[in-house]
This record gives sequence, structure tokens and C-alpha cells, in this order.
Amino acid sequence: MSSLIFFLVLILVWQAAYWLGIDVLHIFRPYVMPSPIGVCTRFLELLQNGSLLKAVGNSLLRGIAGYFIAVCIGLLIGVAINHFRYLQKNLKPIILGIQTLPSVCWVPFSILWFGLSTRAILFVVVMGAAFSIAIATDNAIKNVQPIYKKAALTMGATQKQLYLQVIFPACLPELVSGLKQGWSFAWRALMSGEVMTTSIGLGQTLIMGRDLADINQVMLIMIIIIIVGAMIDKVIFSKIERKILSQRGLL
Amino acid sequence: MPLLLNDIEMKFHDDQRAVLSHINFEVKDGEFICIVGQSGCGKSTLLNIIAGLIKPTSGVISLDGRPVEGPGADRVVMFQEHGLYPWLNVIENVKFGMKLAGLSKEEQRERAEYYLKLVHLEEYKEYPIHKISGGMRQRTALARALAMDSKILLMDEPFSALDKQTSNKLRAELQQVWMETHKTILFITHSVEEAVYLGDRVVVLSPNKGEIFKIHDIGIPRPRYVYTQDFVELRHQILEEVKGEE
Repeated sequence: MSSLIFFLVLILVWQAAYWLGIDVLHIFRPYVMPSPIGVCTRFLELLQNGSLLKAVGNSLLRGIAGYFIAVCIGLLIGVAINHFRYLQKNLKPIILGIQTLPSVCWVPFSILWFGLSTRAILFVVVMGAAFSIAIATDNAIKNVQPIYKKAALTMGATQKQLYLQVIFPACLPELVSGLKQGWSFAWRALMSGEVMTTSIGLGQTLIMGRDLADINQVMLIMIIIIIVGAMIDKVIFSKIERKILSQRGLL
Repeated sequence: MPLLLNDIEMKFHDDQRAVLSHINFEVKDGEFICIVGQSGCGKSTLLNIIAGLIKPTSGVISLDGRPVEGPGADRVVMFQEHGLYPWLNVIENVKFGMKLAGLSKEEQRERAEYYLKLVHLEEYKEYPIHKISGGMRQRTALARALAMDSKILLMDEPFSALDKQTSNKLRAELQQVWMETHKTILFITHSVEEAVYLGDRVVVLSPNKGEIFKIHDIGIPRPRYVYTQDFVELRHQILEEVKGEE
């Protein structure tokens, strides 16, 4: 409740600052200053002609598809660099290095490979998220208490049983936070990809706002990107996380 | 003669000093054998070697005539930290080893319930691990180990992380369980009292040398009580041996 009030006050301050700066003091130029009313008007317009829903839908679909591929690749690499000491020593430093590369840097590469297509965007998403998921997976497995493995081994566990019945459930809480972080990387990478290409989506709508010099549209799309990304985080990942932690008495 | 240790020696890395040397003894079927020694005498290392979790520098261990190579379900270990899985409840934890072994669901349930009853936990079988006390966790771990019905059960100071009162209670329960099941048990402890209380025989490791100082036959009839004359005398004698001669 108090955070809702804080939020409403924030919007009022924003509107007041807009009105003060433009109509009273004349210090802002109206076409570079967004206002709450302007953003809302633009929101209703884009909602009415259906382009906003289409953009959100397209972006979400791409984000989820790219994220899914990134999870598969990331888990695979993560388990591999954890299991084989050779890869841990030689491949992991490279992956750590690549992970520091901002995902937008993959865009030129991707466009040269795939052209201005959806595939190019997916590629950027996968590259942006897979390596962080791989590193998180490796760390999660490393942090499994040795006693869990020792107990299972002395009860006769095979390697496969050890992975599926001990290591996987044991590292689940940490793995889920790794996957959650992976989602935020994927979502950011998706926007880097979308602003560079012309396929309909949130990123492209954002760039259209710039091309039309429509600051309200730019502001609106930025807010929507935050809301959609945070919603997935809150609605899906945080719920799963809480469930796992409370089941184990860690909450 | 299920377990036979033949001249076990253990050196870590290039360290010249052996952690364990000339370890020779056997564990008979249905025998409860305790290994006692000060901390740092190599007793936990010995248990890990028997469990197959580490390889000795030299020497052979055989179980029923077959050499031990790596860990296996015929030598289940109960650890000092319970090693229960927090994502499973009490009975699921007890079933875990049997599930690995591929036992039928019916048999898993039957055996799990039998052993949970034996350790007085039948009312807590659906509890999550974090909702039960330290003593109950260790009893769950005991039920899990017993339910595996291994040839020998290895116990690595299973009660020493508990408070004195709980630990005394659990060792009395273990004596009771052993009198009912006559499982072959190898029990490691630093507590002389615990060793004399539980063991048919007590192997004394000398401090700092990693050798067997003496093997005692404990003739005291069960159930044993810590305040009887013969118990107190034997405990005193072994205590002196454990401390070293100087």
C-alpha cells in the first residue's frame, strides 16, 4: 500500500515538473520532455491500434524461444565444464571472458551471419544468456555439499543416479537463481537485438519512437520493457524459488 | 569372515610419515567392532579407506573374499553429519538407498517402516528433515543405513555432533537395535566410554603413530551399563592406552 502511494506521488512529481519546466519556466523543449499524460495517451493509442500487443507478444515469444535454447546450451556446457577437469581448466576461463562481453556486441556479428532476421535476434539472445547460465550451473554443482555425494556413493549410487537423484536436486535452489539471472540477461540481449533489426517487437517500436521524435512513445516502451521483464521474474522465477526454499526450510 | 584388513598403510602426498601403518584385523559376521583413538590418529582415514572413498597407499581390504575397490552398497556409511537430503522427507530419505538399489516400491515401504519403527520414528515419517531435531535426524540416518541391509555397516562418529544427553540416549538405542538385528558394525569413535559400551571388541589406535596398539575383547554381557565395576575398570585402562604411555 505504502509503495503504491509512493509510486503515485512519483508520477505526480513528474507531471508537476513537466508542467513547471515547460509552461511556467520555459526551460525544457516540449518535444524532448515526456510527461505522464503524454505517455498514457500514447499507451492508449498503441493499445487501440493493436500494435502494442503485437510488439509485446512478438518480443515475449522471441525472448522465451531464445531463452529456452540458451538454457539447454548453458546447462549442457555448465555440466560439462564441471564434470571434466580438462574443460574446467581450459574452457571455463574462455567462457568467463565471453560472458563479460555486452550482448549488444554480438549484434554486428549476428547480422553478418543471419541478416536482419528473427534468427539474428535469437542468436544474440542465446549468446547473451547461455554463458551466464553455464557459469551459474557450474557454480551450483560445485556448491553441493560433499556429504550428499559421499552418502549416495556409499549407498551404491552410479554416476547417473548421482547426477539425477543427488546433484540435480541438491543444486536446484542455486540453479534456479542462476536461471533467473539468465532470463534477465536474455531479456536485455533481446532488446539489443530488436533495436538493430526491423522485425516488429518492443525494441523496434522503441526505435520507431526515436525516428518519429516521439519522446512519449520512447518512454512508454522503456516502461513496458521493464514491466514485462520484471513480471516474468516475479511471476515465474520468484514463485519457484520460494517454493523450493520453503520446502527445505530455508525461508 | 566378512571384512579383512591386510597390512594397510596410508601416506598422504609425499609426506614421509605414515598416517596409518601395519593395520591388520578382521571383522567377523555379526560382530560389533569399535575403533577408538584420539583425534588425528587416523581413525576417520581408516573408515574412509574401508568405505572405498580413498585408496590406501598399500595393503588390501577384502569383503567376503573380494577386494574392496571404490565405494559400494555392501559397506554403507553413517556419517557424523547426517547427510540426509533436505528435499526428501523422513521416510523418503530412508527409502533412498533402496531406491538406488532398484528394490520394488512395496519392499522399500515395508523395510523403511520396519526400521523407522525400530528407531522410534514411525510417527515422524512424513516430516521434512528441517522440522525434526538433531537426534531424530541421526536416527533417520541410522534407519536409512540399516534398511540397506549391507554386509557391514560403517559408522563414523555418528553421535559426536550431538549434545551429551542425546548422544547417550542414541547409543543406548543403538545397543538395543544391535541386540535385535546383530548386524556387522564397524564403529569409529574418540570416546572410550562409547567404544566399551558398544563393542564386542575394541581396537585401540596409538596416538600419532597410526598403528594398532591393542585389541580388547569386551566380555561384559549386554545390555551394558556404564557404572558397573568391570565397565569402569576397562574404560580406565583403555583411556590410559588411548592417551599414550608418556
